Amino acid sequence: MKHVVLFTIDALRRDVLGLYGGTSGRTPFFDSLASEGLVFDQAYSVAPYTQASFPGILTSSYLFDTLKAEKLSAKRTLISEALKSKGVTTAAFHSNAYLSGYFGWNRGWDAFYDSMEEDVDLLNPYIKGNVINRKVDQWLGTVDLGRSLFLWVHYMDVHEPYVPDRRFVERVDGSIRLSAQEMFGLFKSTILPRNAGDKATVALLRSLYEAHVCEADEYARELFGILDRHGVLRDATVIFTTDHGEEFGEHGGLSHDGKMYDELVHVPQIVVNPPEGKGGRCATLVSGLDIPPTVLHLFGLESEPNFQGHSFFPLNHYSAKGVYGEAVGKLAHKIKETDQPAYYYREGALKVIYRKEEDGWELYDLASDSEEKNNIMSTSPEAGRMKQKLEPRINRVYL
Amino acid sequence: MPRNTLNAARAGELKTKIAKSKEIFQQAYDRFPVKDMRLIWSGGKDSTLVLWICREFCQEKKLSLPMAFTIDEGDAFEEIDAILKKVGKEWGVALDWGRNDDVLRAAGHTLDAEVKVSDLNPRNQAEIKRIGFDLKAFPFEAESYVGNHLMKTVVFNTYLEDHGVKAVYQGLRWDEQKARAKDAYFDDVAASELTPGHTRFRPILHFTERDIWDTTLHFGIPYCPLYEKGYRSLGAKTTSLKTLDKPAWEQDLENTEERAGRRQDKEKTMERLRQLGYM
Repeated sequence: MKHVVLFTIDALRRDVLGLYGGTSGRTPFFDSLASEGLVFDQAYSVAPYTQASFPGILTSSYLFDTLKAEKLSAKRTLISEALKSKGVTTAAFHSNAYLSGYFGWNRGWDAFYDSMEEDVDLLNPYIKGNVINRKVDQWLGTVDLGRSLFLWVHYMDVHEPYVPDRRFVERVDGSIRLSAQEMFGLFKSTILPRNAGDKATVALLRSLYEAHVCEADEYARELFGILDRHGVLRDATVIFTTDHGEEFGEHGGLSHDGKMYDELVHVPQIVVNPPEGKGGRCATLVSGLDIPPTVLHLFGLESEPNFQGHSFFPLNHYSAKGVYGEAVGKLAHKIKETDQPAYYYREGALKVIYRKEEDGWELYDLASDSEEKNNIMSTSPEAGRMKQKLEPRINRVYL
Repeated sequence: MPRNTLNAARAGELKTKIAKSKEIFQQAYDRFPVKDMRLIWSGGKDSTLVLWICREFCQEKKLSLPMAFTIDEGDAFEEIDAILKKVGKEWGVALDWGRNDDVLRAAGHTLDAEVKVSDLNPRNQAEIKRIGFDLKAFPFEAESYVGNHLMKTVVFNTYLEDHGVKAVYQGLRWDEQKARAKDAYFDDVAASELTPGHTRFRPILHFTERDIWDTTLHFGIPYCPLYEKGYRSLGAKTTSLKTLDKPAWEQDLENTEERAGRRQDKEKTMERLRQLGYM
């Protein structure tokens, strides 16, 4: 493939998209991608929050091998570095501080926009997708499209503090009459302290979040229009996914903490203009770790020894395997000194989770218990085997 | 050393700016005894000009020169060390060096080494908590978020406290960066948990980067040779970069960023994380 675009939306839950069973009509553009793309039904992120999941998406490795204190380790290879050395033009446009140049994520990009120099609105403290689109548009106007291009675009628009514009709120629930300040107040009073006790408030937060999803759908349509106008889209494969989902009280919390449940790690993923499987659905378990090797494969390049994942393509060469994840098991917005790692491993319908802080094991059968409420660790005959799969990963230390 | 020739009008402009700076020194001397003052001298172009003007002022008024204070972040250019020692000796400047020995020891005096928070003394541990850093370790870099605080801010505040310093001179300038545009010539800093009360005097606020070089070259004021090699702003050694391969004063000072070679992304990044509730 001549060009590859990686398009990620921060904190995008899988089940809010119509194509994955979300409320019909809210995400018409994302849903339209399904007919031109290959939809992955069992895609997993390696972690439930940005700092821990992007090591998978951009360096094909896990958190504890990747960050030194909070910065990207020199030992890891970014997909941009692997591609630039092969003559591919690389560019990144995003607005997430954890992925900024300060933390070392700017390596290997010919163009890297992280927005950190800009002043942002306190109620929406990031650069919005439509502005990111303009940056992409301007840059595409300056670049030699005769050469292969790897473009990574990341939106923050659905990330808290959930202060969507009125017109997007209308699309979800016209009866919501909160002012922007009141919405921001909910962020302070409810999301930050993780007050998930009141069901009506949690439902309201979810509606505000989904209003932002409608907003992102609109910006995504505009982005594809820009790619098309510059003649990039027809020669490109686009991988669309997220770094993690978002919790609305499913396991007692809000936002995205260091928990390993499906509302956070089971993610949407569509490959638009795939080399095979167009218009189909893929039920194979795949990991965010597989994205960098897939990008290399799409450019016809050999994999990089530092990458731990495997290309999705060719589909019949991808051997069925389990997926792992790891993160600091924080249960609040900030990471505390006492927080300990948490891990998961999924294989078939079974998912095992270990939290070091409580020395706690959980096992779920997702076929009969998709909400992960019924821990069968003490009763399942598979418990020992699943535990053994995860144990080798557990006793590693934070760098 | 290159000497530049200025036309009479430009030379007159600079003399007016120097006279303005001397007025600031006069006001500081009217308020504080010289033993309570320190001149913050990094060895860079700005603070060296502050020192030069101060020395001229003191010679004219038959006053004694204040002591100078420099902060060793543990990542200094050898060329900066050399200029501090050489000029300090030539001009008869009493110079105190401040450094955070506890952090340097915990880092084994090695850049990029991992510093375990538990290896630090209680004061440094408390400072890390106070700025909201909750991890167990951080990389030793003077200009990282925690490093900057421990290696500069804490050293500065501890020094003021230990030496009863009431007034400091700083080489800040209005045109240096946007954030400086509203700074005042005098800033009374109230005592807080972190810092004892003191007054900051900024005698060269009105000098532009061009003024600095014209004055420095015109009057033959010594400067660090790194500026000749293309650096425009000197900070920690590993985070300062040349902007171009020609002397600072030959670069397009008016239309390009003075601090482009300095890593400025730290503060903005941390601010963004605070806004999202992560810090």
